[in-house]
Amino acid sequence: MAEEAKKDIPEIVGFACSFCSFKASEMAGSLRMKYPEGIKIVQVPCSSRVDPAFVIKALFEGADGAFVAGCHPGDCHFIKGNYYTRRKIAALKEMFKAFSMDKKIKLFWVSASEARRFVEKVEHMYKEIKEGNNEGKKG
Amino acid sequence: MKIGIFLCHCGHNIKHTVDVARVKEYFQKFLNVAVAEDYPFLCSEPGQELIRSRTEAEGLDRVIIAACAPTLHQDMFKDLVKKGGLNPFLLRRVSVREHCSWVGDDIGKNTDKAIRLIKAGVYGSSHYIPLEEKQVDVTQSAMVIGGGVSGLSAALFLSNQGMHVYLVEKEAELGGHVRKLRNVWPSGKDGSELIDEMVETLRDRENVEIFTSTRMVSFGGSFGNYEATLETPAGESTVKAGGVIVAIGFAPFDPISKPELGYGKDKRIVTTLELENGLDELGLPANPRVAVLHCVGSRDEQIGKPYCSRVCCINALRAGQTVKEKFEHSYVESFYMDVRAHPKGGEEFYEDTQEKGVLFTRGNVGEIIPTPAGVLVRGEDTLFGELLEREFDLAVLSIGMSPPKDNQYIASLLKITLDKDKFFLEAHPKLRPYDTALKGIFIAGTCSGPKDMEESINHGRASAVKLFGLLNLGYAFVEPFVAMVDPKRCSGCRACEQACVAKAIKFDDGERIVRVEEAACMGCGLCNSTCPSSAIGLKGHADSSINDEVGAILEAI
Repeated sequence: MAEEAKKDIPEIVGFACSFCSFKASEMAGSLRMKYPEGIKIVQVPCSSRVDPAFVIKALFEGADGAFVAGCHPGDCHFIKGNYYTRRKIAALKEMFKAFSMDKKIKLFWVSASEARRFVEKVEHMYKEIKEGNNEGKKG
Repeated sequence: MKIGIFLCHCGHNIKHTVDVARVKEYFQKFLNVAVAEDYPFLCSEPGQELIRSRTEAEGLDRVIIAACAPTLHQDMFKDLVKKGGLNPFLLRRVSVREHCSWVGDDIGKNTDKAIRLIKAGVYGSSHYIPLEEKQVDVTQSAMVIGGGVSGLSAALFLSNQGMHVYLVEKEAELGGHVRKLRNVWPSGKDGSELIDEMVETLRDRENVEIFTSTRMVSFGGSFGNYEATLETPAGESTVKAGGVIVAIGFAPFDPISKPELGYGKDKRIVTTLELENGLDELGLPANPRVAVLHCVGSRDEQIGKPYCSRVCCINALRAGQTVKEKFEHSYVESFYMDVRAHPKGGEEFYEDTQEKGVLFTRGNVGEIIPTPAGVLVRGEDTLFGELLEREFDLAVLSIGMSPPKDNQYIASLLKITLDKDKFFLEAHPKLRPYDTALKGIFIAGTCSGPKDMEESINHGRASAVKLFGLLNLGYAFVEPFVAMVDPKRCSGCRACEQACVAKAIKFDDGERIVRVEEAACMGCGLCNSTCPSSAIGLKGHADSSINDEVGAILEAI
C-alpha cells in the first residue's frame, strides 16, 4: 500500500475482553452494524491480560491507534481486572504524552449487550484519528 | 509445522462480502500451510467430514477455522479435530463473519481484512501448546429466576430428577401472567387452576426452596459454582447453584405509549387482558358494536417493536368469541394486518370465529376518538385503499408482549446479552435456542422473545433438560487456560502474587519463586501483564501469541 493512501485508512488494533467487549463486537456483527474495516480486534481473556507492551508493539508496528476495551468498572468477570487495566493504560498514556501520541491510545468500557456503544466508540476513535492524520498531512 | 486453513462461506453470509477464492489462493502459497480449503457450510455434515478427514490424512499440527464467532459450534469443531487426531487446543477459530463480512460492505477491503485476521490466527496459534481439559466439581443445584409458567415447568422437571432447586420470584405470588388468565385457550380452563397444580407439587417437594417477594442483588462465580445473594423478606440469603435458568417472562405492552388509540382516556377502550374478567362490568348495550384491534404494540416500527408477539391474534379471536357468546346479535369487527393463528388448532379457531359472525377487515387503525355516543375508530382499509370511520360501543386492543421490566438489571448481573428488541439473546437462534453465551446459564420462556403458553412450557422444560445434562454427573470439564510459571525466569519479586484476584499464586519460600494453584486460577492473565520478566504465562494466551497476532494484523499482505 502506498504511504499516501495508507494515511487515509487508519489501522486500529483493539484488544477486547472475551466476556464483555468481544461479545459486544460479536453482537455488532450479528446485528449487521457497520464500522470501518481498519478496525481489527484481538481477543484477550480479560482486559487485564493486555500488557502495555502489546499496545506499544501495535503502535510501533505501524498502527495509527490502539484501544483496550473491557467490562464496565465493577462488572469485570474476573472481579477487578479492569481496575488494573485502567491504571496501566493511564500510566501508558502519560508516557505517550511526552511524544504527543497519547491520542492514539484509548480505553473504554463496553458491556456484552452494548453493541451500539461498541460501534459508536470505535467509529468515534476512527474519525478522530483520521482527522488527526489529515491535519498532519496539511501541516 | 503443518497448518490447515478451512474457510467457511456460511452460505452467502461470508461469501457475499469476502472474496473467498482470493483468500484461499493467498494462503495456499503461505509458508507451512498444508491445506487451504473453502466450503459452503463447515458446520454441515460434509463440512465436518472435510475438516476431520483432512486433519487426519495430512497429519495437521494446527487447524484454523475461519468462520463464525469463536463461541459458536466450538465444542463441535473441537470434537472434530480431536477425531482427526489433533489436540483440540491446537484449533484456532477466526471470526470472519461477525468481525469482517457482516460489518463491512466493500469486497476488496473485506477480503484484505479477512486475510489479516486469518494470518493473525495462523501466527497466534503457532505458539499454542497441547492442553488437557480440567475436571471440576459442580454443585448439583439449580436456581430458577422467575416463577411464571415456564420457570415453574423448569423447576418441576429439575426437582423430578432429584436436583435441588431454588425458585426465585419477585412478586408475592408464583404464577406470573398465566395466573391472571380466566379462560386459557383452547381448554377454557382458569389459568390459576393450572398454576396452583404446579405450585402445590413444588411446595410438597423437599428439594425445592421457594423465595417469593425476593430480589437478586448480586451474582458471581463460574459454571458449576455460581453464587447469588437474594434479598428475601426474611433478610439476605446466599445460594449456591451449579446453573441458572432465567425465566423472567414479559411485560404486557402498555398502550399508553400509543396515545392516538385513546387508551386510559375512556373506559370503553380496553385491552385483551382487561377483558379476561368478562364483559359484565363494561355496561354494554343489548346489541353492542365492538371493535377488536390486532397488533397493538407488535409489528410496529414506529414504536420500535417490529416483531410479532405470537399470542395476540388468538387473544383477539378469543375476545371476538367472548362478545359473540354473550351477545348473539352483536356486531364485532376485527381490524387486522394478517391473522397469524400459530398454535395447533389456531387456524380452525380462526375459521370458527368467522363462522360465528365476527367480521374481519384488513385495516390499519390510526386513531380512536371517544365520543358521547361511543368510540369512533378511524383508519385505512388496506384492501380497498379507502378511509374507514365507524362508531363502536367498545374497542378492544389486542396488546403484544414487551421485554420484561428487569431485563437490563438481570442482564448486567448475570452478564448475559440482550437482543435488539431487548429480549434475552440465545446463543444460536436455531441450534442453541435455550443457551446463553455463558455456560450453565439458560433462558426460558417469553424473556427470550414472545411465546405462547405451550411454547413457554416447552422452552422451560428444554432448558431444564439442558441444565440437568450439564450438572448430572457432579463434575464437568472446563477450559485449562491457567497461568504457569517459568521457574528459570521467575525472580521471586512477588508482584503477581499481590495482583492475583483469585489468590491463586503462592510464594515458594524454598525455591524463592512463585507457584500457581491451578484449581483456583481463573485464567484472566492479570499476572502475565504484571510480571516484569515475563516469567508467568497464561496457557492458550501466551505473550508471544498475542504479540504475533498484533504483528500479523499490521504486516503488509
